[in-house]
Amino acid sequence: MTTTLELSTESSSRRAERIRLLAQPAVVLILVAGVLVWAFSQDLDATDRETLNGPSLLQMLYEHMLITVLVSALVVVIAVPLGVLLTRPGWRRLAPLFIGIANIGQAAPALGVLVLFFLATGAEGGLWVVVLPLAFYSLLPVLRNTMVGLQEVDPALIDAGRGIGMSAGAVLARIELPLAVPMILAGLRTSLVLAVGTATFAAFVDAGGFGVLIDTGYKLNRLPVLLTGAVLAVALALMVDWLGAVAERYLGPKGLR
Amino acid sequence: MAPFVNLWEYVVDRWDKLSLQVWLHTSEVVQATLLATVIGVGIGIAVYRSPAGSAVATALASAVLTIPSFALLGLLIPVLGLGVAPSMTVLVLYGLLPIVRNTIVGLSGVNPAVVDAARGIGMSRFSVLTKIELALAWPAILAGMRVATQMLMGIAVVVAYAKGPGLGSEVFSGLTRAGSANATNQALAGTLGVVVLALVLDGIYLLINRYTTPRGIRD
Repeated sequence: MTTTLELSTESSSRRAERIRLLAQPAVVLILVAGVLVWAFSQDLDATDRETLNGPSLLQMLYEHMLITVLVSALVVVIAVPLGVLLTRPGWRRLAPLFIGIANIGQAAPALGVLVLFFLATGAEGGLWVVVLPLAFYSLLPVLRNTMVGLQEVDPALIDAGRGIGMSAGAVLARIELPLAVPMILAGLRTSLVLAVGTATFAAFVDAGGFGVLIDTGYKLNRLPVLLTGAVLAVALALMVDWLGAVAERYLGPKGLR
Repeated sequence: MAPFVNLWEYVVDRWDKLSLQVWLHTSEVVQATLLATVIGVGIGIAVYRSPAGSAVATALASAVLTIPSFALLGLLIPVLGLGVAPSMTVLVLYGLLPIVRNTIVGLSGVNPAVVDAARGIGMSRFSVLTKIELALAWPAILAGMRVATQMLMGIAVVVAYAKGPGLGSEVFSGLTRAGSANATNQALAGTLGVVVLALVLDGIYLLINRYTTPRGIRD
């Protein structure tokens, strides 16, 4: 029963992946074009135009992307080396501790973690006040996948590498890590999606992004502003997820595709 | 230790209000999970026999999961207003993916020979589905419900933005009252409350799993 279970899941989710790989960019284009045409054809007054104009939309896109990229970069820089370290002999005993901390990081509500960090840093707000707590929140998928990816490498391959005279470092760099790359990329895609989604909360701590439009539109009761912000945030998230899917497909080692 | 002493005093002092929010948070998440289960298992039953249908349902449900919860809430406010309606809609939509996926996995994992045998002894198509297939898929469906509940615990904090019920309102009051004496206590009570609730519900799922798994397929 286990084999059929795995086979059927894999084929169903692989087909689902293919559908998303093809359909998602089209959906993103339709969403962005649709909402911009609709919003700018509305009867916008001066208040609406303060947020709904080309330069400020581009600024919010930049802020939203910057937060997403910084969070993901921080996650990779912390989680991959940590994952490597925690699978080395001698360090393995510490693995449950770090996985436990990362688990708590993800079980805690992202917004709560963000607000707590904001209050603890003197309620000043700003870019790093968003990036640091969100990186903590998005750490687990990459950390776990790095460790699983490394643990799943066939020990015979490692022995073979050592046998032909490669040092432990060379085995890690040329055998273990390349074989773990697909798992790491899958984890990175999950972290990217978490980061781009939670980056909408940046509006609450004065760090910009499309969340600003949603928050402003809701508080001032401006429908075009609210909907533009929400649709653009959705489109950006779908786009980032799609880029993650493309990376997953094409950045892995050729031999494993 | 000082902030925790304050937090303790805060929690004791406001227990009337906090306990209500804990209850509302739990009730909201549990109801959303149950509703998502009814819909998700329905979708799973409808599509699991067709590979294309399964792929489309999985693709749609996983695309929904990509959408930022705050953006989805923003989209629903103009349509559904504030309060319970948009909150429940957001929670149910996010709860669907793990349940739909696991229902499809569970149902398509049932050994066809078992289904044939059941048909052979004269069971109707419906009783095969309810007594054999769903019973065997139940552990997978329950695992999906567990994942959904864990996820909804955090999303329920976000939906408090639209005047939804629950512990999220503590987090949002902490945010708007930044600088006042109790701001950090409110945010801490809300955040830690959700973590504790999530742990408690996870334990309850373990118990449900222990007592509702059909005896024949228990480990």
